[in-house]
Amino acid sequence: MKKSIIVLMILALMVPALFAQGAQEQQGPITLKFWTHEDPNRTRIEEKYILEFEAANPNITIERTTQASTKLIELVQTAFAANAGPDIFNLSIEDEFAYIANGRVAPIDPKVIGYANTKALLDTYMDGILDPVTMDGKIYGLPLELTNWCIFINKNVFKSAGLDPEKDYPKTWEDMVKISQKLVIRQGDILVRRGFDFRYPYYLVAFLPMVEQLGGQLISDDGKTAIVNDAAWLKFLTYMQQWGPSGLNLGSPTYKNARSLFNKNNNDIGMATTGLYQIGRIKAENPTFYDSKEWMVVPFPVFEGAVKDVAASFYGHYYMVNAQSNKATQDAAWKFIAFMLSHAEEYLTEVSLIQPTKALMASAAYKNVPYSEVFTKDFERGHIVYYGKSSSEFQTLIRSAVESVMLSGVTPEKALATLKTAAQELLDEQ
Amino acid sequence: MKPNSLTHKRKYIGIERIQARWGIAFVIPAILFFSLFSFYPILNALYTSLFDKRVLSLLPPTFMGLGNYIYLFKSADFWNSVRATFVFTFGTFMPMVVVSLAFAVFLSLVKNKKVRGMFQIAYYTPAVISSVVAAAIWLLIFDPRGLGNQWVNFILNTPGVDNKWLADATMVQLSTMIVYFWKYIGYFIILFVTGLSTIPSSIYEAATIDGANPWQSFWRITMPLLKPTVVLVSIMAMLQCLKTFGTQYLFVQGGAPRAPINVITLNIYTTGIRNQRIGRASAMSIILFIIMLIFTWVQFRTSKSEEVEY
Repeated sequence: MKKSIIVLMILALMVPALFAQGAQEQQGPITLKFWTHEDPNRTRIEEKYILEFEAANPNITIERTTQASTKLIELVQTAFAANAGPDIFNLSIEDEFAYIANGRVAPIDPKVIGYANTKALLDTYMDGILDPVTMDGKIYGLPLELTNWCIFINKNVFKSAGLDPEKDYPKTWEDMVKISQKLVIRQGDILVRRGFDFRYPYYLVAFLPMVEQLGGQLISDDGKTAIVNDAAWLKFLTYMQQWGPSGLNLGSPTYKNARSLFNKNNNDIGMATTGLYQIGRIKAENPTFYDSKEWMVVPFPVFEGAVKDVAASFYGHYYMVNAQSNKATQDAAWKFIAFMLSHAEEYLTEVSLIQPTKALMASAAYKNVPYSEVFTKDFERGHIVYYGKSSSEFQTLIRSAVESVMLSGVTPEKALATLKTAAQELLDEQ
Repeated sequence: MKPNSLTHKRKYIGIERIQARWGIAFVIPAILFFSLFSFYPILNALYTSLFDKRVLSLLPPTFMGLGNYIYLFKSADFWNSVRATFVFTFGTFMPMVVVSLAFAVFLSLVKNKKVRGMFQIAYYTPAVISSVVAAAIWLLIFDPRGLGNQWVNFILNTPGVDNKWLADATMVQLSTMIVYFWKYIGYFIILFVTGLSTIPSSIYEAATIDGANPWQSFWRITMPLLKPTVVLVSIMAMLQCLKTFGTQYLFVQGGAPRAPINVITLNIYTTGIRNQRIGRASAMSIILFIIMLIFTWVQFRTSKSEEVEY
């Protein structure tokens, strides 16, 4: 009896290992598991593409699943850890790069998607757009969207504070403080209306460029030193400390995210940092506000005396294909991705997503999008977001530093010292 | 006489064996369940903790012996997590045990069954709500413009004061404790109510005849006889608190600073899932497991010496 119990226990211990086996060979009909983040406008058009693609390819079935973008990061990773990742997925490049570095995604065979060679594919896109997904001459992803952030302004809020939005909009971060002080409405210490607030989880996209404007860097050019130029980082951390509830009390990560409030036009927020896609969302969520034209877009500010004119970094969501799927599935997945992305103009007009092909950027459709020229100019001032094997960890470290000065009463000097030590340790481990 | 007694002996052993077989048959599902969902993950985590294993890497993990443990014991971030876990655990489970006992005694004094049932449902309702929903509700309450500030400012007559429920290192720790306390106190009240109902009423009657007042009855009868339940509740409450995750995770997602509430489980999540260092995260989970084991053992030891029977 004892022996049988032991045998049973051993079998029980082996069961998960049996289930955790890797890719299975697939024959006959192909089912593509396609995981992506929630976006109702995009869902509408992509479901239409799925029907069209399935009709043209009767042996292929596509199962599209959506999740909140933050949740998707965990789900995709957990699935890949169990060797059960989706066939197609997309994440932001700073989260996606590790999949390329670890060989978890398959390179594109240009011929499968109708290109003569890799160069022809590269030539389709704006210069440098495919750099983050290129390794050893192979391309591992195609952009669903490339986004940069500018400042959206609610003209009603400006006017209510006696400001002229066309002239008085913030050009520098110092202006941002002064204008926010005029726009803010408080009940005691509690902010009822904020002039502007940052997008707190995105430290690599919108905060690191502020440091770069002051001459700072996350990683030195030789790749050996983390957190370069203490003075720049200190000025940035001091600015954030002053912005927070223990300083000038102009905003905080604990208030509702400014971008979501902006569309409502209910006197909650004067300005928000967001991308071109926000225009589509304003139109969908609050057509009256959209049609009123009481909103405008201005460039990403710089610090007074900035040593570098840097806009917010642009980041990309790239569609990628699981390297553990069999070759037939991979080919079907790339064909489907290419089919979806062949509708770049519809993605722009219906969802306000930019798929930066040369054709789209030169098209009338792009030029007709309100404020597209502001985004184009900021593209030229910016660069791709920092990406690497540990980009997510660097982002966590910057977040901790900013939160500690804004919310935990830590001095900028101490926060910087902690950040430097941790970031250097992380860099040395790479 | 002799052969008879032998036959009797054989028969007796047979029944025992049959009973034992049935016992084993009934226990096997639990053993299988435990092996699959507890024993295997523990052993797997222990094994993984000896390697530098990255979640996404297809390369064989590098063996580093106790390297992950040595790293953690030198890491300020990990010690901060140990601090946050202990602050949360002791700040939550002790008041929770005391207050849930007080509420249970209060309930036992309520004679009207309908009223008592109503109170029990009211106390227990938060326990059936998922941690995610509970934290989402409290995120709204703790919003600077939410009910938290409104209630406190109304009671204290301090209009416009922002108590920074989520935006201050101390307050955010208190906020997580409040949520947990609110959520789980009903569960422990029910356990205490069950414990109280097992104390024979004849003991109280005898004490009353002997002239004991309610206060003396509580300290001389209720408390000693309720000791097994107190031990059970305190161990369960403490283990639950040590494993806390959902509230802290959702508060951090909601913009609260991570460091003050970066309990070990949240650090395991960040290290293993966000930062992909599954070996290091496994080492943390083994340390947490050992901490829980030690605390449970200490509580059993301290409670065994004063066992009371009736």
